Amino acid sequence: MLHMYSRWCAVLSIAAAVTAAGATRPRYGGTLRVEVRAAGEAADPPQTGRGMADLADAFTITRWEAGRIAVYSANDNASGGRPYLDTVEIQMARPLREQAIDLELGKADVVELGVNEPRRTAAGRKTWTSAPVRLMALVFGPRVTDERIREALALAVDRAAIHNVLLQRQGEISGALLPQWISGYAFLFPTGVEMNRARSLVAASPASARAFSFGFEDAGLRQIAERVVLNARDAGLTLAVSASGNSDVKLVEIRIGSDEPWRALGGVAAALGLPEPARGDSPEALLAAERGLLTGFRVIPLFHLPESYGVGARVRGGPGITPLGAWRFGDLWVEGSRP
Amino acid sequence: MTLRTRLLLIFTVVVVATVALVEGLVSRTTRNAFERMENQRVDALVTQFRREFARRGEEIVRAVNSIATSDAATTIALSPDPAAHYNEAPALAVAHGLDLLELVAGDGTIISSAEWPARFGYKEEWLAGWKPRGAFLRREELSDGVTLALAAVGETQAGDHTLYIAGGQRLDREFLSTLVLPTGMRVLLYRNLEAHVSAAELIDAQGQVQQAAEFLPLIEEVRKQPRETAQMLGSGTAAETFHALPLMGNASNLLGILLIGSSRAELVELEAFLRYTGVVLAGGGILVGLVLAWWATARVTRPVQALAVSAGKVAAGEWNTTVEVASGDEVGQLARAFNHMTRELAAQRERLVQAERVAAWRELARRLAHELKNPLFPLQITVENMQRAREQYPQEFDEAFREGTATLIAELGNLKQIIGRFSDFAKMPAPHMQKVNLNELAAETMKLFEAQLAQAQITASTELDAALPRTFADPEQMTRVLRNLVLNAIDAMPGGGKLTIRTRASEGGVRLEVSDTGQGLTPEECERLFTPYYTTKTHGTGLGLAIVQSVISDHHGRISVESQPGKGATFRIELPGEA
Repeated sequence: MLHMYSRWCAVLSIAAAVTAAGATRPRYGGTLRVEVRAAGEAADPPQTGRGMADLADAFTITRWEAGRIAVYSANDNASGGRPYLDTVEIQMARPLREQAIDLELGKADVVELGVNEPRRTAAGRKTWTSAPVRLMALVFGPRVTDERIREALALAVDRAAIHNVLLQRQGEISGALLPQWISGYAFLFPTGVEMNRARSLVAASPASARAFSFGFEDAGLRQIAERVVLNARDAGLTLAVSASGNSDVKLVEIRIGSDEPWRALGGVAAALGLPEPARGDSPEALLAAERGLLTGFRVIPLFHLPESYGVGARVRGGPGITPLGAWRFGDLWVEGSRP
Repeated sequence: MTLRTRLLLIFTVVVVATVALVEGLVSRTTRNAFERMENQRVDALVTQFRREFARRGEEIVRAVNSIATSDAATTIALSPDPAAHYNEAPALAVAHGLDLLELVAGDGTIISSAEWPARFGYKEEWLAGWKPRGAFLRREELSDGVTLALAAVGETQAGDHTLYIAGGQRLDREFLSTLVLPTGMRVLLYRNLEAHVSAAELIDAQGQVQQAAEFLPLIEEVRKQPRETAQMLGSGTAAETFHALPLMGNASNLLGILLIGSSRAELVELEAFLRYTGVVLAGGGILVGLVLAWWATARVTRPVQALAVSAGKVAAGEWNTTVEVASGDEVGQLARAFNHMTRELAAQRERLVQAERVAAWRELARRLAHELKNPLFPLQITVENMQRAREQYPQEFDEAFREGTATLIAELGNLKQIIGRFSDFAKMPAPHMQKVNLNELAAETMKLFEAQLAQAQITASTELDAALPRTFADPEQMTRVLRNLVLNAIDAMPGGGKLTIRTRASEGGVRLEVSDTGQGLTPEECERLFTPYYTTKTHGTGLGLAIVQSVISDHHGRISVESQPGKGATFRIELPGEA
């Protein structure tokens, strides 16, 4: 019940965000230029997951250059009818900064937004924002064996400061794996800073365990990672930011693939390398299962963030994403194409 | 040491001392001049540093004030959501040429930090109660450590809202590289940011200083007592004088030490050159001095040396020796006086020889007369008795004739003996030299006289050196010498006494002594003792000791006597060794 309410709120949020799109008559034709960070280096176009795989019904892949460009053409036989757009051209491996510039210069119609971009661009540009479907968390590797150290870091991270400043209040602060809008109990997981307790936990642990390497998956997470390092330093921990993927603790983002709580929890657990939770049929069982996954502080959830896209002025229709962030380009059209 | 050597030595010492004195004076003057020059250069560099420091400070103050008075600062100060501006500082810092910039709310909360973006929301306690002032040194914490910065704080007032703009520039190698350094000088900066001295914090215009360890004692000294200090580091041409200037922070805390190094290579090279020149000059001076000294001393000492050689010849008996008078100066006068002296000496000696010869003849005549007179008188009496008996008592003439002829034969024997002794002295044979052990000769002589010594109640003893080397001598003549000396000793002790014969190895030869405990001799007697025909005895010819001296002289030896009246006498013979 709770999660249904949350989902409704998210949809409302998307509706409000796209109000500015205006109500013009749909036009056929034209190309929607999309830029993404993903490299897409596989030999074939992706068939599963979010993003390009979502286009599979309305569009057909007509060009695939791994790591560079993918072109999808309108499918006249799509189940929902032929999309308005003739083609969707997707530039891959584009850094966020380049995407922002291309959007500014009108070279791209849809770009991804970094974690702190939406508010900065909100003033003069359309954005598509999903419900909070990405979990940002710290994940410890097997080398950090001292639970006190892991707990100390969980208590030291100032989630509120990061949320207010670096995330510009995007998404939600969370100590849970599932977002509030799916589980309805995320607020039960503590998120506050307890620096004194963190320091005492560190002091009780051996000195050799207080320093470890720290990595992050995406360059866009660097500022958040540096803040985590600073908070950890205040607690007496030394985190050395490492570019290698084999670090002791990582800042990761996990996409939540379902709005069904048990499937969502199972997916998150699998993505984080946690054991599969035992299924139940009540919210209490779900809460217990999630608590069980977080015992031992192997994973420290930090935030639940939405998928955000910057949208060019000539894009009409939509919204182009679902509450879970899936692409729905079938109802979009672009200004300047034939009526 | 000869006069020439002494003069050479004095000349050399004078030259070397003069060169050393000049060298010392030049070195000292040079060193003083160098020290003055170095002080001037250091002062100039310190002034330049302070000027650059002040200029940089003014630039920073200008930049910070420019930001503080900008619309952006006012907007941030008035913003109800400071978090929206957390990323402003880096761009503002770049735009205003600042390495460090923090936008800080009135309560000290960091809104945005260029140098450490993650520090938003943290407090800058030191800004509480901030009073406007110029640029100052500050220890700035960064994500990757700490740095020394020249900082300034600007303030934006927008209504009730206050925004502090804390900006600055790192005091690093780039700052040092802006200083124009004279040749041979360098500037290092120690950033006193850690609790302990750290070599990693010592930088120059190229970055971290290699071999920083040698500077650590100087740095430690300034850290203990922050005041300007100078110290020489390194040695030889690598030596440098470092002036350490403490750089104080806003709270009068020591944040940095500026080390201004001045190479002493030039001075060391100059001193080495001076030393080298000094040595060459001294060497040349000594050489020239030697030549001059040789020439001068030759002029002075040659006549003196000639005089010395001539004097030696005179001493050796060449009475007619003269020297050449080559000049009219004092040395020439000396030479003339010497020639005059030798002529006088030769003449006097001739006269003395003649007188001695006459005296010797007279003495010989007297001795002969005395010696011959004694047997002649009984001869005359005997002949006269025989004549008287022939004339007055013919019946007793045979008896008288027999007795007379016996007396005549006895006295004629005496005469013959006397004449034989004189003949022996006149005909002293040349010695037949061979290896002789004087100890054996002494022992044999003692044994020969055993009975006579016992009869004369004389205790005889020998003190013979067992390590006495053999000597070349004529054993017969040496035996004769020993016998004469022993007989002399027996005669000197008519009431008995003690006779001792000693032998001892001496430097370059052997020594033999014959001592008695007799009545002794006066100094006058000692002087005349070896004169032929001189005797202190009532009997004897006075030739014994003269013969002894003659034998010893033929053996290239020396005889002397030590005696005092009443304390006996010791005759000492020194003979050259085997070689």
